[in-house]
Amino acid sequence: MTFAWKAAGITYNRYLAVAARVVRRSLKEEKRLAAERRGQQELRFAKWSNGKQGDMKNLAQANQAAAVESAAAGGQ
Amino acid sequence: MNSLRIARAAVRVAPRALRAPIQRRGYAEAVGDKIKLSLSLPHQSIYKSQDVIQVNIPAESGEMGVLAGHVPSIEQLAPGFVEIIEESGSKQFFLSGGFAVVQPNSVLSINAVEGFPIEDFSPEAVRAQLAEAQKVANGNGSEQDIAEAKIEIQVLEALQAKLK
Repeated sequence: MTFAWKAAGITYNRYLAVAARVVRRSLKEEKRLAAERRGQQELRFAKWSNGKQGDMKNLAQANQAAAVESAAAGGQ
Repeated sequence: MNSLRIARAAVRVAPRALRAPIQRRGYAEAVGDKIKLSLSLPHQSIYKSQDVIQVNIPAESGEMGVLAGHVPSIEQLAPGFVEIIEESGSKQFFLSGGFAVVQPNSVLSINAVEGFPIEDFSPEAVRAQLAEAQKVANGNGSEQDIAEAKIEIQVLEALQAKLK
């Protein structure tokens, strides 16, 4: 089974996150406010090499960049 | 085949007293026509090993109904409604996508990221988002933005089909 989003470099994890986000936004007001809090993520990471910490990167941005790269490489 | 039937009939005819009492330990005989359903989200268990009659799931390979005694299988779920038929009636939940695992012995586990009963959705919010997503999908954003908008359209259209 091939999916269109795979060709754009989107991972299954990202696909699920997008689908879950849109479901949360479709809820009635009071349920939506409680549910949308679950969708928030804020993660930063840094790669360590040779005992030194590299640049701090935002995970969401890094994932997006990886998707673009993967799409350019043929969407594996 | 025929001789087997005769042999079985002979056993049935044998008087009770003549048969040695059989010491058998095992699981209690399960009620045969129910399937144990667990419907779990990362933050909540909607069903916890509850007996239900039938579950209709939106698998990527097509809609399927799962009854007791179904062959074991693993199905990827498309965003869509699961219908759970219980003795007291049927319920519908919209799942954003995940997996359904049909285990042996009539056990069904469904895992999804988000799942809500049909009455929790707002048709206006769905309509507004669908218009927005269609605009993005037909616009000239990045390949990823368009792909994400198309995922949203797929989810919203599945929602809208039943909300009307």
